Amino acid sequence: MAWGEDHELVARAVSVQDTRAFGELIRRHQSHVRNFLRKLSGDTSAADDLAQDCFMRAWDKLHTYSGSGSFIGWLLKIAYTTFLQSKRKSKRYAEILEQVGHVSEAESRTYAVQADEVTDLDKFLAVLSEEERAIMVMSYACGLSHREISEATSMPVGSVKSVIFRGKEKIRTNFDIKDHQHG
Amino acid sequence: MISKIINMAERMKDEQDRLLESMFESAPIADNGFSDQIVRRVRRKLWLRRLTLPVAVVIGLLIAFRPMAALVTGVYELLLSMPGDLVPSLEGSLPSLQLIVTGALVLGVAMFSLSMLED
Repeated sequence: MAWGEDHELVARAVSVQDTRAFGELIRRHQSHVRNFLRKLSGDTSAADDLAQDCFMRAWDKLHTYSGSGSFIGWLLKIAYTTFLQSKRKSKRYAEILEQVGHVSEAESRTYAVQADEVTDLDKFLAVLSEEERAIMVMSYACGLSHREISEATSMPVGSVKSVIFRGKEKIRTNFDIKDHQHG
Repeated sequence: MISKIINMAERMKDEQDRLLESMFESAPIADNGFSDQIVRRVRRKLWLRRLTLPVAVVIGLLIAFRPMAALVTGVYELLLSMPGDLVPSLEGSLPSLQLIVTGALVLGVAMFSLSMLED
């Protein structure tokens, strides 16, 4: 079956609860969403769990998609919110564990990237704040425009631009980026 | 016009932008059943949502059966005890208790079937 544009699939999924249309939307965008969450969290399996939660939320909220912006921008907004909420929950969980004396377990839960898996990109991302990381990934990995990032993060376009500028400055000051050889 | 200028400015990338793009670039992640897994979860959720109301109706009927039957019997007996000239030919016009309960059950099943058909 030939599927149409994203907004047509959304309309189909919302009007007749067509799960196959929604499945096609997931197939189209899962790579971007999973990549975004993997880069944000640094944990592949946790990111994939979050991506599942993100798509489940997207199904529930599909009727709120107005079609004015790109669907991937709308999805990444949900992914970012899902990530922040899970982070808040795990922080609270770590606090409770600490309160009952399980400090080591609480610490182990905040550990994200495995030492032997650290890439140059992980080092770059590590110097950025969570917000900077999310915006840089949206911009450079997912190719979202400043306006789309602004919609996804509920920040003014000007703030998005300054966060990107700040992120670039941090990378520039922490790493000799011109000497870096990619690959 | 202003938005065009903004878009153009956005597209003008410097060397660092291009380097960062290549750094952030990664191979697409293979689906490997990921989307099917979510679709299955969504379908399960839909079914659960569709079953909630009919199941609640059936449970409600089961819980309400005894008090409803007692109420109907009470009203029925009250009507029978009324003087004959107030309620003429009452005996023939009132349905039996079994008929009322059966009717309620048929109504419940019909509502359930209709909601399933709608889905």
